[in-house]
Amino acid sequence: MSRAALLLLAACSAPAPAQPTARALPAVPPGQLASPVAFDAIADRAARSRALFGEIAKVLTHPRCVNCHTPDESPRQGDQHVFHDPPVARGAGDRGVPGMQCTGCHQDHNLELARVPGAPGWHLAPVAMVWLDRTPGQICAQIKDPARNGGRTLAQIQDHLARDPLVAWGWSPGADRAPAPGTQAALGLLAQAWIDSGAECPP
Amino acid sequence: MTISIKVNGREHTLGEIDPEMPLLWVLRDLLGLTGTKFGCGEALCGACTVHLDGMAVRSCVTPVERARGREVTTIEGLSADGDHPLQKAWVELGVPQCGYCQAGQIMTAAALLAANPSPSDDDIARSMAGNLCRCGTYVRIRAAIKRAAKGTP
Amino acid sequence: MKLSRRGFLGGVGAAAAGLVLGIHRASGRAVEVPADGELAPNAFVRIGSDGVATIVCARSEMGQGVRSSLHVLVADELGADLAKVQLVQGDGDPRYGNQDTDGSSSVRGDAFTMLRTLGATAREMLVAAAAHRWGVPAAKLVARDSAVHDERRKRSLAFGELVAEAAKLPVPKHVELRPFGELPHAGKDLPVRDAPDQVTGRATYAADVRLPGMLTAVVARPPALLGKAARFDAARARAIPGVRDVVELPAPSAPIQMQALGGVAVVADHTWAALRGRHALAVTWDGGPNAGYDSAAYREQLLVAVRAPGEVVRKVGDAEAALARAARRVEAEYVVPHLAHATMEPPAALARVDGDRCEVWACTQDPQGMQDEIGKALGIDKSHVTVHVTLLGGGFGRKSFPDFAVEAALLAKRAGVPVRVQWTREDDLQHSSYHTHSAQALVAGLDADGNVIAWRHRIAYPSISATFSADATRPSTGELSQGVLDMPLAVPDISVQTGAAAAHARIGWLRSVCNIQQAFAQQSFIAELAHATGRDPRDMLLRVLGPARALTAADQGVAKLPNYGLPLTTYPYDVGRLHHVIERVTDAAGWGTGGRALGLAAHRSFATYVAVVAQVGKGRRGEPRVEEAWIAADAGTVINPERVRSQLEGAFVFAASNTLHGAITYEGGAVVQRNFRDYRLLRMPEAPRAIHVELVASTAPPGGVGEPGVPPVAPAIANAWFALTGTRVRTLPFIT
Repeated sequence: MSRAALLLLAACSAPAPAQPTARALPAVPPGQLASPVAFDAIADRAARSRALFGEIAKVLTHPRCVNCHTPDESPRQGDQHVFHDPPVARGAGDRGVPGMQCTGCHQDHNLELARVPGAPGWHLAPVAMVWLDRTPGQICAQIKDPARNGGRTLAQIQDHLARDPLVAWGWSPGADRAPAPGTQAALGLLAQAWIDSGAECPP
Repeated sequence: MTISIKVNGREHTLGEIDPEMPLLWVLRDLLGLTGTKFGCGEALCGACTVHLDGMAVRSCVTPVERARGREVTTIEGLSADGDHPLQKAWVELGVPQCGYCQAGQIMTAAALLAANPSPSDDDIARSMAGNLCRCGTYVRIRAAIKRAAKGTP
Repeated sequence: MKLSRRGFLGGVGAAAAGLVLGIHRASGRAVEVPADGELAPNAFVRIGSDGVATIVCARSEMGQGVRSSLHVLVADELGADLAKVQLVQGDGDPRYGNQDTDGSSSVRGDAFTMLRTLGATAREMLVAAAAHRWGVPAAKLVARDSAVHDERRKRSLAFGELVAEAAKLPVPKHVELRPFGELPHAGKDLPVRDAPDQVTGRATYAADVRLPGMLTAVVARPPALLGKAARFDAARARAIPGVRDVVELPAPSAPIQMQALGGVAVVADHTWAALRGRHALAVTWDGGPNAGYDSAAYREQLLVAVRAPGEVVRKVGDAEAALARAARRVEAEYVVPHLAHATMEPPAALARVDGDRCEVWACTQDPQGMQDEIGKALGIDKSHVTVHVTLLGGGFGRKSFPDFAVEAALLAKRAGVPVRVQWTREDDLQHSSYHTHSAQALVAGLDADGNVIAWRHRIAYPSISATFSADATRPSTGELSQGVLDMPLAVPDISVQTGAAAAHARIGWLRSVCNIQQAFAQQSFIAELAHATGRDPRDMLLRVLGPARALTAADQGVAKLPNYGLPLTTYPYDVGRLHHVIERVTDAAGWGTGGRALGLAAHRSFATYVAVVAQVGKGRRGEPRVEEAWIAADAGTVINPERVRSQLEGAFVFAASNTLHGAITYEGGAVVQRNFRDYRLLRMPEAPRAIHVELVASTAPPGGVGEPGVPPVAPAIANAWFALTGTRVRTLPFIT
């Protein structure tokens, strides 16, 4: 829908702020992320903020991300989230146990022939940062909670999402693994826009 | 490119080498250290386990580049003459059958005992879960690790 | 053309043993001619003037302990000090007779007597030499600690001092064997000979052998059996640094038999270059006759086959009439998928060719068969092929096929330098030989009191014979004799029938072979009958097996009982021995004391009786876990109890992997499974916390040891799972 049409729609709507449906936002091809500009159509700041997080959540709930944001001993693998095979254990530092540490097999880059994924500092997110089987609202609350987000400020979170090399892996997973939608740069922009709009969480 | 690595205390200079070449093949094909075995090539079986600065790694997926400036220990270098407590326990309890997986089993167990001299059964299971044995010697492996941990040869 | 090299199918063993005993010092081969002053009455034993006895191990070591045990038996008969014994691994050589290490046949049958005779022959010659020198009767002398002793006169002559004279004596045709119980070492736990080398990385496996100037090759093979390369583009492969050549291997002809599989080889300076080269190869495959093989669809065909009358292979009374008048019927269908051996060591072989001679180092279970096949492939006489047998990192029957060494020989011939062929794990899972894919339908008729009055068993699976002969479409007598023709059944009316099934995969031998599915079905079914009649499963099993007796072909309702190539006179199927291991194992497991989910199964195979009790529970995710296992085995006379116990422990875990996880499936003619992520094996956390083994003390002739521990495991686990959950698993594996 053109920008003019959007403005017309906004002008014709009821005075009370309304939450536009997804139909009001430009359609995003699968595997891509909407840009923050598309959310300007949502006039209400809080509603826009929540919608921005909804877009961010497409990445955070993607298998490439949730497979290492698990609630228990084990990472997951694949788009069906099967338990990591060979069976590995989290260990006290989220980096595996003696004899089976994450970086004992995972390198700082993907391996082509062996198909083992890799990125710098491969390890599990702490249990407090569980995203597997969590709603966007629950993930959002965790991200904002200093007790559960590694004591980070929102700015640090934005930086982590936008620039961390392990996070970057989600978009270049190697082998036949489906990448997270969009790009890390796009995620970084969305995260900034979310913060700027008040960092509201979906219910 | 040229890479120098140290294996079992000896320096080796490898010229004209693909930096992505797995350490396993460097050890076996270039250095003639054939104690480390090839079982799967995808870090699933553990037969290729060596130590990199004391940490157990799977050499079939470790690019040789990663070993630059580090110390590699293979089964041949685990002890002077087979006298590591694990090696002795393995022989005493008749652990090996075909024996092909055992170097990898021992290297993983050695990393475990170095970090945890008194592992529980659960600790052992967690650390050894990545090492396959098709002959099925797991019960004896577990017993040998416990024997070595107790220090009674 | 041999259908099979398995002794039990062709009775090869007896003839081969006689052949060996008939071979004396003279030979056409330079390598085994004894030097002056050495005693070498046969190809296996040579004693030097230094008194050291060199004994040949003519079986392949794959963990079952032949290199820890066989020579000890020989040395004990000889009277040698074990510290003065050297062990040599025998190359492929017909002078050794049967060298095929399969069928659990390294000791059972004639092999036991033959091994002892080897040592006893040399002993008697040494004793005769001493007797002659001292002028006393040989009967007054004893050989012990590598010397001959005259105890009465307190004098001794070391073997080394006697060999020259002994070598001049005629080799005795009949020798007296020592009573087994009096042998100093055999019959007791022996050290694991290769363990010190295995734990230090010094043990040599096929891929460890190195020759100057050697190259390494990996092969891209046709996805479907008997497919071939239609065309390929080697440009990118050749551009990989270290790649020397890209070679198309000859396509095999049907039936596959022992041929190599064909494909395109990348030959390189080292393994990594070869792997990269193969990864860069673009091959278009011509699917061939098996390109349509889909194992899921095939399973349905097998089930159709067993739901219709088949060819009768066992008949007692009139099972149809008995079924018709039965008060109740119990029916079940059992399916076992293809299985892969998945030896930890993928196949590898190093070959060098020099004119019309070829030398090979290989992890082979059948070095003479390998000589034969390489001879054919190279067009040279098989006596010009030397096969050195390395340690095997697992065999289980896969390495009875010589294909990987044929590939090495062909490539070495072309390259003009030694070439090692290295199979990867993907190669191993996708191009192995496979355990057959089977369906079985069992129906029992019960009378009003719950007695089994009728038993009908229909069986369909592609036969191993199909690997060797195009017209084999039904299980062979040999395969059926693995637990079906010889199944004791105290049932008055029995019918066993086979259906037709064509092979679309390379069907081979996998540890205990057709005992796997045939024990699974029958031992599960008997437990189902127990449940149907409200009886304790052990009681039901004993009831169905019937009283202690020696089975006869007539009583069994079969034309003959192949009995693994063993005579029924010396190796009867003694049902009483099966009862005994059932009683021992249930006793050990505390059967009937309540509170645990236990499953029982018992099976005789390769002349050894094994009963297993498995205790199962549920893992954290509700999956079946084997918590503990009890095994009672009667293997007759045992040379090395320690290796027998380890084989039984290992067989349990091996079979548990197959039962819980193992399945090779086909789509579009190709195997689906690639590596250990999709062909799973038991790992340590899933292994039982304890496996208790009781070996029944016995002086009966030795039975086989490597395989008999496998067949009872799958039904024991299934029966235990039923006891735990009330769910009956009839299609393996448990976890897909």
